[in-house]
Amino acid sequence: MSIEEQYRKRAMELLSGGAVKMVIGYGRGSNAERRRPVFISSPEEVNRLVLDEACIANLSGYLVNEGLLSDEKRVAVFLRPEGIRAINILAAESQLDAEQIVIFGFDVSGNEVKALKGIHVEEFEDVIGAIKEHAPEMGNEELLEKIEQMNPQERFAFWKEEFAKCIKCYACRQACPMCYCRRCIVDSNQPQWVNTSSHSLGNFEWNIVRAFHLSGRCVECGNCDRACPVNIPLRLINHRMAQEVLKSFDHFAGMSKTQEPVLASFKKDDSETFIL
Amino acid sequence: MSEPFEPKIIAFVCTYCTYAGADLAGTSRLKYAPNVRIIRLPCTGRISPMFILKALQKGADGVLISGCHPGDCHFTHGNYHARRRWMVFRALLDFIGIPPERVKYSWISAAEGVKFAEFINSVTNDIRKLGPFEQYSQLIEQTQAPASL
Repeated sequence: MSIEEQYRKRAMELLSGGAVKMVIGYGRGSNAERRRPVFISSPEEVNRLVLDEACIANLSGYLVNEGLLSDEKRVAVFLRPEGIRAINILAAESQLDAEQIVIFGFDVSGNEVKALKGIHVEEFEDVIGAIKEHAPEMGNEELLEKIEQMNPQERFAFWKEEFAKCIKCYACRQACPMCYCRRCIVDSNQPQWVNTSSHSLGNFEWNIVRAFHLSGRCVECGNCDRACPVNIPLRLINHRMAQEVLKSFDHFAGMSKTQEPVLASFKKDDSETFIL
Repeated sequence: MSEPFEPKIIAFVCTYCTYAGADLAGTSRLKYAPNVRIIRLPCTGRISPMFILKALQKGADGVLISGCHPGDCHFTHGNYHARRRWMVFRALLDFIGIPPERVKYSWISAAEGVKFAEFINSVTNDIRKLGPFEQYSQLIEQTQAPASL
């Protein structure tokens, strides 16, 4: 039995037994290569679920939709390892109760989809630990290397060109499971922290703020990268920040549901070489 | 333009240590560079990175941030939190291409009036050497240009 069939069967059992009220998974998209999220709440609909190598989006962001989990019923969701890390972070930040989430874990390597064993986030700690030790290739290592080699002026020029493309649609924010604030800093106008126009100055501010807010929280699922209509390498900035918190604080985001958020905790002997 | 460049520097300081240190520098009649505009905040933990960005966005050439020494925070651990935040924020600025030398950090206690005066002088000198933050002022100018049709 293929993993798709297995998971359809499991979804059917969970829904008909009333163990979960909804299954969030992938369905067919607008063409053969695309998948779109489906929200299934009756057992008859489970055949809409699809699971193959094209299922790349991180669906964990839907779980923090207002009111979804407030009735304390369970919800099942299809997640790749990044998505499972996202659940850990959301739980650590008290955005959801991890007990309410039933995980349909899977991972894709090449064209092969394999199931991940487990139902609750605690059961995936080995998988996440393995990612910490051996980070999967992102395909942007070359560009990162290139930027690291630049001097500050060149880097500024590089990002200026990239950010000049930004149209401030905030798709990166909407797509990100970590951007759950009811009122984002760019939506507040008293004071107006970030310029609303999409000129380069405003774009710089927005992208810096976005990257800072995701520092030590980003799981590098790539939702922002894929959502960006002008292809700014957003994941690259996030990746650099993840490297920084790993190096400075040995913090790998989403290790467990009780992990302290890196910027909401401290050690008395944190490095402070730059402070005069 | 024969006059030497005078940088505009914004200082975010905590009220319990560095602001009191600045006060001591003043009452001790110590002279220091007049380029710094001090903004007093309850604690370094209150200094959001947005403040730093806002200062640069409004045309500052440099930003300096100072608070109580670790262990001396009035709120017991505000400065420890701030320290982590700066660590990450510095790396981010560096990666984006905003020279981290334009943002300086220090711990200055209420008893260190002399250190305060020296710190202001040395930062002002450093920023003067770096020159105006032209890359950012270009961006600021663009925001004032009439919209293209």
